[in-house]
Amino acid sequence: MAELLVKDAEKWFRREDGSPFKVIDRLSFEVRAGSVTVLIGPSGCGKSTLLNSIVGLEKLDRGELLFVNNGTSHERPLIGYVFQSPRLLPWKTVGENIALALKGAGASRSGWDSQVAHYLKLVGLEEYANQFPLYLSGGQRQRVGLARALAVESEVVLMDEPFASVDELTARQLRETTRRLCEQLQRTVLFVTHNLAEAAYMSDFVVTLTRRPASLDEYVTNPLPTPRRWGPEIYNFAAQLENKVTLKEDGD
Amino acid sequence: MAFEQDHSALLTGARTGVAGAETVPPLGRSGSKEFTSRIVPPLLAVASVIGIWWALYAIYPRLLPSPLSTVQEAIRLLSDGTFFFHMYQSLRRVFVGSLVAMLFSIGVGIYMGTVVMGERFFQPLVVLGLTIPGLMWALIAVMLFGINEFSPYFAVTVTIFPMLVINIWAGVKSLDKELIDMSHVFHFTKRMKITQVILPQLVPNIFAATRYGLGLAWKVVVVVEMFGTSNGVGYQVMKSYQVFNMEGVIAWTLTFVLAMIVIEYGIINFAERRLTAWRPKIDVWRR
Repeated sequence: MAELLVKDAEKWFRREDGSPFKVIDRLSFEVRAGSVTVLIGPSGCGKSTLLNSIVGLEKLDRGELLFVNNGTSHERPLIGYVFQSPRLLPWKTVGENIALALKGAGASRSGWDSQVAHYLKLVGLEEYANQFPLYLSGGQRQRVGLARALAVESEVVLMDEPFASVDELTARQLRETTRRLCEQLQRTVLFVTHNLAEAAYMSDFVVTLTRRPASLDEYVTNPLPTPRRWGPEIYNFAAQLENKVTLKEDGD
Repeated sequence: MAFEQDHSALLTGARTGVAGAETVPPLGRSGSKEFTSRIVPPLLAVASVIGIWWALYAIYPRLLPSPLSTVQEAIRLLSDGTFFFHMYQSLRRVFVGSLVAMLFSIGVGIYMGTVVMGERFFQPLVVLGLTIPGLMWALIAVMLFGINEFSPYFAVTVTIFPMLVINIWAGVKSLDKELIDMSHVFHFTKRMKITQVILPQLVPNIFAATRYGLGLAWKVVVVVEMFGTSNGVGYQVMKSYQVFNMEGVIAWTLTFVLAMIVIEYGIINFAERRLTAWRPKIDVWRR
């Protein structure tokens, strides 16, 4: 199992007039191996920028991103990513979408079919392998995105507000599925959300960020037992998180 | 009592039918209706053209040949094998020239849409190419290369190339960035990015370019054949023109149109339907 270390990360952008502004400021935290670390913070504080930097879509201006596995660090390993919108290729079937990710990951061709079937079964879509994504519901497509991210069997999985674009009932089912799979598969997960109840339910650890430029505000350990269940304690912990985030924003 | 039972079943959503006796409602249009709606509009379009022709023939009988005598001439061309030989020559020139132009235009279009320097280099050349008429290229080709097979290939390729590039370039400009990012995140190779992510997004542009390009290619080939070859449909049209055989000119034009219809409906439409089967049908005007 790998852990992800974010060390003194700093990221700048330029405005349209050319003036620079800082998005991330000396941000350091760890995503412990086999755990779900939830990243919360005010809108536009740089959470997605950090995720994009981790997968190589952006480049940090300063600092390091270390993927440590058994004491050795790796440059840019394969990372599973569940996007806010599923980002499936609409001209490929569900099975082919997952198989392409496996091909990109360098998985042996002989194992594609069984791996696709296995992960589709885990997300409850085993009958949909030959369907085109546009014929599925939004929740089903997001499940396919989840299956794809898990199927590449990367040690680190990123999830960027994966349930933000589906209705609450579907989101609740998806959270349950995702949390169950995280506990079962023991992947190292960095999960970004705006929803505090979701953060309380999904997390083993919670990282709260300050307003832009984002730096570490608090690192909170989720006291709730696993396997996680929806109940009043989730909302109590969410209220505690809300106090932390809101108080800090008020205090600015 | 029975009435209350019936209603309570409805209110609770209980099923009253016998298991396995479920009837499937009609889903969408039947096959025959679908066929009719596909065949009738183009037939009406053709019939309207023939109707206008007949009306003009009735008014100016000395100027225009009758549709009947023209069809008889077309049937003669088809039955004595002349049509197939010359059509094959023209088709070969159109396809080879178009294929070469298409291959180059996909490469250049993707390059222009993805590399800024490529865009800056090719944009003025493409605009320049668009302004040169196909007839000019036909003349230049025959003057440069003489009466041989290379002339029509060259003329077709350089005439339709800029127009194809414009289409592909526009398509690349509107590629879905999110899908490109996804392919990067999941470590797709360059080849996978092109074949699985970029080219499928360009399918509508490629088909639009193919349709327009083939139409343009036909026109250029006919012109080159008129004065630069000794066979092909253009050569036959020119021969008919020289002896003022109006039936011959129109009959060759008709057979030409027929070939275009076969290509459009038999090949392009079929391929487009196959390649866009993933897209749900959209009914914009439904009420």
